[in-house]
Amino acid sequence: MTEHATDFETQKKWDNASRTFDIVSFAEDKRLGPDKRRMLSKVQGKILHVAAGTGNDFKFLPPGKDVISIDISPKMLERARPKAAAYDGHIELLQADVRQLDDPDDTFDTVATVFTFCSVPTPIAGLAELHRVLKPGGQILMFEHVRSTIGPLAVMLDLMTPLTRKIGPELNRDTVGNVQKACFRLRRVENVYLDVVKIIEAIR
Amino acid sequence: MLFAIGDYVAGALIGVATSLAARLIVWPGMDMVIAMLIGMGVGLIVHVVIGFSLAPILGMFETMVPGSLTGMYGGMLFAMRDSMAAGSRTLLAAGAVGAVFGIVVTAAVKLYNRALRGPVLETGK
Repeated sequence: MTEHATDFETQKKWDNASRTFDIVSFAEDKRLGPDKRRMLSKVQGKILHVAAGTGNDFKFLPPGKDVISIDISPKMLERARPKAAAYDGHIELLQADVRQLDDPDDTFDTVATVFTFCSVPTPIAGLAELHRVLKPGGQILMFEHVRSTIGPLAVMLDLMTPLTRKIGPELNRDTVGNVQKACFRLRRVENVYLDVVKIIEAIR
Repeated sequence: MLFAIGDYVAGALIGVATSLAARLIVWPGMDMVIAMLIGMGVGLIVHVVIGFSLAPILGMFETMVPGSLTGMYGGMLFAMRDSMAAGSRTLLAAGAVGAVFGIVVTAAVKLYNRALRGPVLETGK
């Protein structure tokens, strides 16, 4: 196993967030759950799920899959463990930073992320690492919130990001652009809520 | 259905709180530009506090997005009104206008969401 420098700042932020994560995301799961399930129904082959969180997305995965789910926060993974055990399939939980994966090149057929790249400190580095571990022709399925292109809303998101960054995600990321910068080919982009929450599908 | 009702209630709450806060801070004759900046700041604080409180039961995006528009843009409008003493003489009237503004913004965001929702790129590959 390769030794990597740990991003303690990010780890600590999400360790802290793990205490209230389920409460804060309760309604969001109910409202956006059907869209998450629809996207995750497309996972196939060897699957890497990035940012397990407290395991709230596991219930949206199709049954019978073999999934590796990573998170930078050990506290999040601790809370995700019972939900992984309850999944009708196999989920292996690993602590890892998406920017420094131990997996060899061309390992996975599918990478899935849910509200992940709003929080990775250097998102293009993380996406480039996912590009590396995906097999050629492999797919990345992303459920992400991004900066709006609607002027007044974009300004709001820009103004709020310095606040939200301290406790969790950034609200003004250009994740679609970042996916392309990391050399993925876009297959499909869908607006889920306004143009802020999106499903992004891309191919290596 | 319950979520939709909750969204409108949240919008109204943020509108009322922002309008009343602006009324308490801005006085007639205050420089309008300063008043509008104060209104925006007050709206930011109000919508973050109420939005975060309601997010667990209504969802972060559905609360915060219309809430931010109501709080910050509404805050500017309410402060502009109060610096000119242009209407809503009583606190009750100011609160009612805030509620109406919040509900209208929430409805507009929902309408816009309907228009925007769906695929924006499909390469078919």
